[in-house]
Amino acid sequence: MTDAALRQRELEAQPMWRILLDQFLEHRMAVAGFGVIMLFLAIALLAPVISAVTGLDPDRQNVFNRYQSPGSHLDLSTHERELRVQAFLRQADRSALVDFLAARDLLEFTVDEEDLLYELVTDYEPLALAEQLDGLMAAVPDQAREPLRDFRNMVADFRSFHLLGTDELGRDVLIRLIYGTRVSVTVGLLVALVAGLIGLLVGSLAGYYGGRTDAILMRFTDALLSLPILVVLIVVSAIDLGKVFGGTPLAFIVESRHESVIKMILILCLFSWMQAARLVRGSILSIKEQEFVLAARVLGAKDRTIIGAHIVPNVIAPLLVAVTLGIGNAILFEAALSFLGLGIQPPTPSWGNMLNNAQEMVQHAPTLAILPGLLILFTVISFNYVGDGLRDAIDPKSIRR
Amino acid sequence: MTAYILRRLLQTVVVILLLSYFCYLLMTLMPGDPVDEMIMANPEITSADIDRLRALHGLDQPVWVRYWNWASSIATGDLGYSRTYRVPVTEILGPRLLNTFILAGAALLVALIVAIPLGVWAALRKNSTADYVINLFAFAGISVPSFWIAIVLILVFAVYIPLFPAGGTGSIAFDMTPWEAFVDRLKFLVLPVLSLSFLSIGTYVRYTRAAMLEAMGNDYIRTARAKGLSWPRIYLMHGFRNALIPLITITALSFSTLFSGAIITETVFAYQGVGQLVFESIQSNDFNVAMIAFMISVSMVLLMNLIADLLYGVADPRISYA
Repeated sequence: MTDAALRQRELEAQPMWRILLDQFLEHRMAVAGFGVIMLFLAIALLAPVISAVTGLDPDRQNVFNRYQSPGSHLDLSTHERELRVQAFLRQADRSALVDFLAARDLLEFTVDEEDLLYELVTDYEPLALAEQLDGLMAAVPDQAREPLRDFRNMVADFRSFHLLGTDELGRDVLIRLIYGTRVSVTVGLLVALVAGLIGLLVGSLAGYYGGRTDAILMRFTDALLSLPILVVLIVVSAIDLGKVFGGTPLAFIVESRHESVIKMILILCLFSWMQAARLVRGSILSIKEQEFVLAARVLGAKDRTIIGAHIVPNVIAPLLVAVTLGIGNAILFEAALSFLGLGIQPPTPSWGNMLNNAQEMVQHAPTLAILPGLLILFTVISFNYVGDGLRDAIDPKSIRR
Repeated sequence: MTAYILRRLLQTVVVILLLSYFCYLLMTLMPGDPVDEMIMANPEITSADIDRLRALHGLDQPVWVRYWNWASSIATGDLGYSRTYRVPVTEILGPRLLNTFILAGAALLVALIVAIPLGVWAALRKNSTADYVINLFAFAGISVPSFWIAIVLILVFAVYIPLFPAGGTGSIAFDMTPWEAFVDRLKFLVLPVLSLSFLSIGTYVRYTRAAMLEAMGNDYIRTARAKGLSWPRIYLMHGFRNALIPLITITALSFSTLFSGAIITETVFAYQGVGQLVFESIQSNDFNVAMIAFMISVSMVLLMNLIADLLYGVADPRISYA
């Protein structure tokens, strides 16, 4: 924007969101952090697509290829290959393809037709075989063309590329990190949002009604705030949800495949709403003395209307800051608990549990120990910068006009 | 003042009592109880035996009755018996507590020594490159997972450059002179202290910077400048001294964070402290130890919070405890 245009804009009345946006954009690190978060969100959302395109599966184990270094090409074990061929043969009638290949003399020895495909995939290197099959494409009769192409594509998939190597069970680290992004970011976002809502509820009740309600709620909040939270979390996350929810309508949580994820979110929500509650209470104490609240009361508005329509909108901005900062904290707590083996349980990958046995392996596989931690650091620092930027943006003292 | 202290002490005691009940309740919700383990250890046990054992250990009673029995034995000084270590809980606890205090105290000291000068510097050179870099460092400090920084430290200073041991509390040797033993302890402390202090450095830098900026914006700084005082005098006597007040609170309050952080640091470095004891005893269903270690950690932190509030009044005479 040119100087003249800028000056012109300064003369016009600006809507509030425009001022806030301009303030936020001035905080360069916050903008960068926002970019990083968007990137990670995109990766998290696209995880299944990435998995489909690259053919990598976060749960596929390969015990013969544990701790491969970054950038390695790996072939499927012969057993796996045979299983794939078996599935391939079951899928449809492959006799045309088998007849065609049997006449080609691809093997130096003769085998029964029914064993042919098995022998081919175990005798040849995947890439060499795929090349051979490519060469046959021209000569293939029509009825065998489709199966041949499928067979060739399957064979080509036997060799996989692992950009970041493999972990202690031979699983691809990159795709696990991508799926881990999903889990960790989801936990962070959900926990911060729910904690923000609980905080809003507790804080507005305490702040608006004051007196005994305030005293009880805030004593409780302060007591929770003063605890060494991680110690409490460790004790709480060791409980058996089956003993809590067994026989209640919530028992389905225990049976769900994502039990540990749900449990983590529940537990973190229980212990992360206190900052938000204090903040909301503080703002409400000052807001409720202002004239527009008095005006609403004089007009006969109900408590519900006053809190919902007049007070809450005024505490949304500071609450948003607290929620943003809370996301980073929730991710850190999830990671710490999963690292200790109390949080998200394998095989579901999370950044924390990927570091679970990284410590013993730090000598053989340093990348395994470094990468998940770096991702946590990047994500959390981004959320913290965005929170900082938001705080600056909504701070009336920092608005320059 | 005395009335205030008494009231706060009473509140703290109530919180501790409530927590102990809550914690006892949680322990009953953990997978496995003492009898479950005996059943697993002995396949020939009959269901009559199981009932008898449950009655013997009081497991057929409601939770609050069991809690009451447990609490009354605690009150008489009987902290129970550790099932893992086969010794009374009191014997394990003492040295563990000392170790944690050494670790937390050293980490606090290191954090303050690093963070205060950085924070003051950043505040005095506001919006400079130095401020920018220090700020980034502080943000990294509050955003880094504590266990990860510990692993990275091990990787760098114990694996690649083997300067320090990767874990443990001290060497097992009987012929060390006191001096050698002291140096040995120090060597084992370096990495845990570094990783634990790293977490607090970020927080302290940010608070120091904010407090210092606030203090330097006051009118009396302008007056001091107008009087022609020397720069160090303005910064230290007039600026920093006033910035100290919020810092004292933050420092005392951060004992909670230090204790939380210690549980991770101790676990990663296999350092024999209370935090590791909490984790280990929960993992191995050692309920007596877990309860006591948990209660001790919490009580320590609550006590520190109380001290923080009192110190606040000492540092800032404007606060009164009427």
